[in-house]
Amino acid sequence: MRLRPRHVRTRLTLWYVAVLSAVLAVYIASTLLFMRVSLHRQLDEGLRGEFGHLADRLTSGRDGTVSVAGQAENGDPGSLAEVWSPGGELVYRSPRLGSQVLGRPASMTPASGSINNLTLGNGTPLRVLTQPHVIGGRDVVIRVGVSEEYLHHQWRELLTGIAFGLPAAILIAGFAGDWLARRALRPLERMASHAEKLTADNLGERLPVENPDDELGHLARAYNLSLARIEASFAQLRRFTADASHELRTPLTAIRAVGEVALQDRRDADHYRDAIGSMLEEVDRLSHLVGSLLVLSRADTGVALRRQGTGLLDLTRESAALLEILADEKGQRIEVRGDPSVRADVDRLILRQALINLIDNAIKYSPRGGSIGIDVRRDPDGRSVIEVSDEGPGIPETHRSQVFERFYRVDKARSRDEGGAGLGLSIALWAVKAHGGEIEVSSEEGNGSTFRVVLAAETPPDSEARGARETGEAGLERGRTVGKIR
Amino acid sequence: MRVLVIEDEAKVARALDDGLSREGYEVTLARTGEEGYYLLDSAPFDLVVLDLMLPGRDGVEVLATMRSRDRGIPVLIVTARDSVEDRVIGLDAGADDYLVKPFAFAELLARVRALSRRGRSEAPARLKVSDLEVDASARRVTRGGRTLDLTAREFELLEYLVRNHGRVVSREMLARDVWKETGRATPLDNVIDVHIARLRRKVDDSAEPKLIHTVRGVGFVIGESAS
Repeated sequence: MRLRPRHVRTRLTLWYVAVLSAVLAVYIASTLLFMRVSLHRQLDEGLRGEFGHLADRLTSGRDGTVSVAGQAENGDPGSLAEVWSPGGELVYRSPRLGSQVLGRPASMTPASGSINNLTLGNGTPLRVLTQPHVIGGRDVVIRVGVSEEYLHHQWRELLTGIAFGLPAAILIAGFAGDWLARRALRPLERMASHAEKLTADNLGERLPVENPDDELGHLARAYNLSLARIEASFAQLRRFTADASHELRTPLTAIRAVGEVALQDRRDADHYRDAIGSMLEEVDRLSHLVGSLLVLSRADTGVALRRQGTGLLDLTRESAALLEILADEKGQRIEVRGDPSVRADVDRLILRQALINLIDNAIKYSPRGGSIGIDVRRDPDGRSVIEVSDEGPGIPETHRSQVFERFYRVDKARSRDEGGAGLGLSIALWAVKAHGGEIEVSSEEGNGSTFRVVLAAETPPDSEARGARETGEAGLERGRTVGKIR
Repeated sequence: MRVLVIEDEAKVARALDDGLSREGYEVTLARTGEEGYYLLDSAPFDLVVLDLMLPGRDGVEVLATMRSRDRGIPVLIVTARDSVEDRVIGLDAGADDYLVKPFAFAELLARVRALSRRGRSEAPARLKVSDLEVDASARRVTRGGRTLDLTAREFELLEYLVRNHGRVVSREMLARDVWKETGRATPLDNVIDVHIARLRRKVDDSAEPKLIHTVRGVGFVIGESAS
């Protein structure tokens, strides 16, 4: 099991601290390395200076001894130095060395200026320079040392400082990071707690957007937008439920009233027969309504389309022929014209439903003796267009976007017998959208309306390979992106 | 003809019992799947009307068990679920036909009749109601010896009515069997009414007795009287 902190804030802080520690470690290590090198270099330079200083003052006595000129007079503590003869005899040892010994050099002909480390008998660490020299015509080897103790002391102090300072700095940075993370995440927490409290009743509330341009502002705006969409669908659903119950209640009321009135007095069989028949008519209306609602609710959850290549002019003629008798009764003419080569991959039954509903609508709203024109063609973009034009009263601008809403009727006073339940166009729109198409309406008040079914160009061959079945949901999704309605 | 009706909804069960009995069927009612199954085992039936949503053992289960014993009894399923998937489940389980609630009783009768005479062909070419004669093969109709001029659709409509002579035919039945329209949401009722009105004009306007009758709220019937 991996240990993983629960809060983003903690995770952010931990990451921050870890990265900061790593960076600091690298930085401090390289600084220390650099300082160490440079301190040693300084020490060695000091050592060389010391050598020069000493060599200048060395004099050789007649007896072969070596002494340092003016050492006693000016209180110079002197160097830590020895002078060796090439024969390996000690010819001088500075007093400061006391009883300590630098020792005979490893070689009597050392490379000029070789420096090495050495520890005195009393434990003092030294840097020692061993170099040949000539004093008064005699070859000697001089060894000069300086103590490293001070350097070591400085080094230790530095390390101690870092050992205490670094954790403190990281701790402070950690707290600061935590505070920053908390501050940065606060709007998220606000959003979360708002979302938690969200119910149908407070869908109208919106999050404040502090800075619309930063990431959180963007998130808040996106959140608010989706809230707005949810609110709109909720409102639509409420309206739909209210309308549906109204539509269901009306026939129920009729059934109840007719039944109760029929039972008030003792009547003859014909009377009862009539009453029951009347009730059954309302039952029929209810069944149709429920059937249509089922079609729509199934449409909402997605229906599998059985697509097949279909000649649209034929399909349109077939749909028009089915309803022709209704137009005939009203002395109307239905004229279907168009290009017989227009084909599309559609579910015949479902698209036909849309066409039937549109034509039924056109017949219903056109006056007696009017004519209904249906045009099938391909538009310049290669899309298939089926246009149903009526000579009805037209749809006022304000109603145009709503005619596809469930139960919507432009003329509220129109009776149910004339106008139907107001679901026909909703079903037509669904059927077309399921095919990835759209329905456009153009209308002039008093001068008829035109419903234009626009289907995407015939599906390219590669999508046919995917199979003829496609869920209506996917279709609806696509419909939404191209749909001009709603 | 013994019919077993397995239906838990009391009112529907009683209506089916009454209606089928009046048509001369011998009806036995079962209120649960178990009861129906037990009855099937104890007595021979010629047909089963089965509700799919039953308490306890559900209709599909009853049907599947029944079919696993390979009983050739025709089964008519009656259900409120009508998605294509539900239909397929029912028919896969071995049902012979499927009827969606709320159904017209005339339609139920027609299905029951169709199932009970399965295998027997019963389609005489010449049909007669009163002085109306329909020659199905020649597609000719006469009333009192006078030939009637009918459109193709009117002829099919009349033939269907005459074949169901004396029985009420609902609009749904006409939509399905004459118009071959399966979509329930298709607004065909007006179309059917207009066709009936025109047919009636041609058949009944200049002759007595009137043969085509409307049974309000139910459908149409052809015969010398409505009942």
